[in-house]
Amino acid sequence: MIQFDHSIVETALQMAREEGATQARIALERSIENSATVLDNQLDKMLSSSGSTLFIQLYIDGCYGSFSTNRLDPDALRDFIRNAAASTRLMTRDECRRLPDPALCYHGPAVDLQQYDPAVESLTPELRRERAMTASAEIFGRHPRLLSVETEWGDTVDYSYTADSQGFHGETLQTTHTINATVSIRGRGDEKPESWWYESGVRLDEAPCEGCGRRALQRALDQLNPRRLRSGSYNIVIDNMCSSKVVAPIIRAISGGSLQQRNSFLLDALGKPCFSERLTLVDDPFLPGLPGSRLFDNDGIATARREIISRGVLNNYFISDYYAAKMGVPVTIDGPSVLRFVRSGESPEKVLNLAALLQEVGKGILITDFNGGNCNSGTGDFSYGIRGFLFENGVVTHPVREMNITGNMIDLWRHLIAVGDDPRNSSRWTIPSLAFEGVNFSGI
Amino acid sequence: MEKYFSLFQVTEEAISGLLQSALSRGGDYADIFFESTTSDELTLRDGEVNAVESTADYGVGIRVLKEGHTGYAYAESTLPAEMEQAARTAAGIADTPGLRLTPAPLKRLSAPNRYPILGDWSDFDLLRRKAFLQHFGERLSALSGDITKVIANLAYDHSDILFANSLGDLYCDERPITSLVAHCILERDGRSENIAVSRSFRRGSEMLTESLLDEMVAEVAAHIPYLFEARRPKGGQMPVVMAAGSSGILLHEAIGHAFEADFNRKGISIFSDKMGKHICSPQISVVDDATLPANRGAVNIDDEGVPGQKTYMVREGVLTSYLHDRISAAHYGVAPTGNGRRESFRFNPIPRMRCTYMENGSGSQEEIIHSVRRGIFVDAFTNGQVEIGAGDFTFYVKSGFLIENGRLTQPIKDINIIGNGPEALADIVAVAADSRVDDGTWTCGKDQYCPVSCGMPSVLVKSLIVGGDV
Repeated sequence: MIQFDHSIVETALQMAREEGATQARIALERSIENSATVLDNQLDKMLSSSGSTLFIQLYIDGCYGSFSTNRLDPDALRDFIRNAAASTRLMTRDECRRLPDPALCYHGPAVDLQQYDPAVESLTPELRRERAMTASAEIFGRHPRLLSVETEWGDTVDYSYTADSQGFHGETLQTTHTINATVSIRGRGDEKPESWWYESGVRLDEAPCEGCGRRALQRALDQLNPRRLRSGSYNIVIDNMCSSKVVAPIIRAISGGSLQQRNSFLLDALGKPCFSERLTLVDDPFLPGLPGSRLFDNDGIATARREIISRGVLNNYFISDYYAAKMGVPVTIDGPSVLRFVRSGESPEKVLNLAALLQEVGKGILITDFNGGNCNSGTGDFSYGIRGFLFENGVVTHPVREMNITGNMIDLWRHLIAVGDDPRNSSRWTIPSLAFEGVNFSGI
Repeated sequence: MEKYFSLFQVTEEAISGLLQSALSRGGDYADIFFESTTSDELTLRDGEVNAVESTADYGVGIRVLKEGHTGYAYAESTLPAEMEQAARTAAGIADTPGLRLTPAPLKRLSAPNRYPILGDWSDFDLLRRKAFLQHFGERLSALSGDITKVIANLAYDHSDILFANSLGDLYCDERPITSLVAHCILERDGRSENIAVSRSFRRGSEMLTESLLDEMVAEVAAHIPYLFEARRPKGGQMPVVMAAGSSGILLHEAIGHAFEADFNRKGISIFSDKMGKHICSPQISVVDDATLPANRGAVNIDDEGVPGQKTYMVREGVLTSYLHDRISAAHYGVAPTGNGRRESFRFNPIPRMRCTYMENGSGSQEEIIHSVRRGIFVDAFTNGQVEIGAGDFTFYVKSGFLIENGRLTQPIKDINIIGNGPEALADIVAVAADSRVDDGTWTCGKDQYCPVSCGMPSVLVKSLIVGGDV
């Protein structure tokens, strides 16, 4: 099990002071990771690891350095911090580099965000193998098109303890349990369509192995005999497995680093109606049991629930202490904790799962995965490869392949026409299925 | 070698003992990978070098194979008890303790050193590096009044590796990588654009020369005049002329991953059944090469004790070799090709590309462009991706031009190109004699991060799907 340990952090903090640090922040991160992989119903790989890394941030008379080491014996650590301090002193002064105002930092109360499931302690190599095997056995040898099934069980325990020279102390302990399945099948000609499924969560019971292989196989079979479509403007539905792809550029554009460097398509956009009124996006750090929930950020600043976008109006940027000082604006937080959509303009009782969204939109392209592409951070212009299905009258008709969607992020979000009620709680961004109208597709 | 025994506080006898423990449950192969890596990075932002970042990472990874299956564990110290525990954990992949193999006596491997460090960093200390980076930023800022911000990074990684396996192979390796990267933000009439430039080599401080800066600054300067004129083209299916150099991303995504033999061993690659068959024009030969001096993808000896080498994947249009690690090579009954690589001691090695490039054809880029009535020419890229089984790959184009009646016309930008690997390879209908390797900071992210590089002569792909307006 993870050993809770404050002493190495306190020792490093003292060493930093002795080396002349005006201020310092030290964080110890420990993790234990175990996994079992089954390939075609045979155990293929067993991995086991545990590690500890010490992160050291030094502030010396306006100069700043950031360091990490996993050599934690006292002599090696003292040498490392001595060298780190010497390097830091050589940097150009930047008065914006300092620890945050202590009044902004988390001081309690201790709230249990339910990030740790002690059931992880019951897992043995044999149980991990059994769980991966369960996901494999439910499909292996059971379909004539099946070429390969690879399933993996993984569990991690992550511990961190952070302290700074102003008296901030914070500790976290988190578990993650994941089962995933990847399936390849024989397709048309030489094609070997592949798909996957995963279940993941803080709690052991959030990663059920039963059904994982079957979902992956069904998703692969659904891709048989894809067609290329003609270029044109289509309505699209992006399912909840991949919808975060179109949220990520917005989050990057409203983060302090992008704004301060003026490399953002959302400069000077606070308070402006940038997006569809259907878009209300909340950063909620206090949702018990969801990965990403947290009481403080990497600077030790206390988290808070914030409505980032309200009915299309941009309300908040993610500004860390450093970038706030650089830009002369108030600190918010260094980045999102748990992002979630709040439906607006819809009756809360109205069911809008993926099937209902397809019915609502009627005709268009359902995107189930992205294949590469990028978004210009300065302009918001994007172009992404996609994988998915044509749907008509609310029903999927056939898979499509080799198509790109192209447009501008702000324009895309102005054309948001429906928000699903089906977010998955397995990741930090709980983004539901989303529907947009009039998106440019390039095909044949 | 003695320096490495001292660094990791081990002896040959101790290593042999660990290999013996690793094989104690009946494994048929074991290896042990010691690593000590230090990284230093300086950042220039807002005209000042005001942040330094350093990392020290130290540990040992132990792998056991049993009939192609893997047990892996690592320790972040070389205390005997912790290494012994890692060896016994990895040994658990096998469960036939009665069939215990004895590791072969260790013998030292030697290989040509493709990345000797000529410039010691102690002669190019932090203050000199800081001044160099500052100077680089100033040269970039002076290029245009439109440049409002420059972020530049100078990073230096140094890894000391000690490796041994149960076949008796023992080697040490000193692996440097120095990288210089800059992002320029430009503003004009309320519009914002950005340009990135990078160089990365397995070199020490000798890499940091004024001529390197000349080259990088010239590359940025060449793109500035077109940056605000560039538009997205009309999308659809069209001929694509790919410029020499970084267009090698096409090879990396379209065929490189599909040739990595772990995918083929599982039968899931679209090229799984193509060995020995004609897959493209006889004017095409593609290699994956570990032997280019100081190249980011260069390998003296790979991470499982196989000498780095030059591997022909396609020779005159015929698929001649996959890229193997020891597991896939045993599966196919061939010699490993030296492609077993890992991100660090925390990871088991898997087949990875090194420097993947296409050899020269004939003719020139101008002739190829002239042969296209309507299409696009592309010359700068950011990222790519591939679906191994379906073969569909993509890469993102940062800049290029429309081709109209055999001439470059309107600058273009920010488009994704999508194609199918085997079809795209077969659709390469012209190859110029201007092949060159791109020396940017290419990093492959297949499960683990790994430095690679790629290269290409100018080619014409007769049909790809180009993202764009409708």
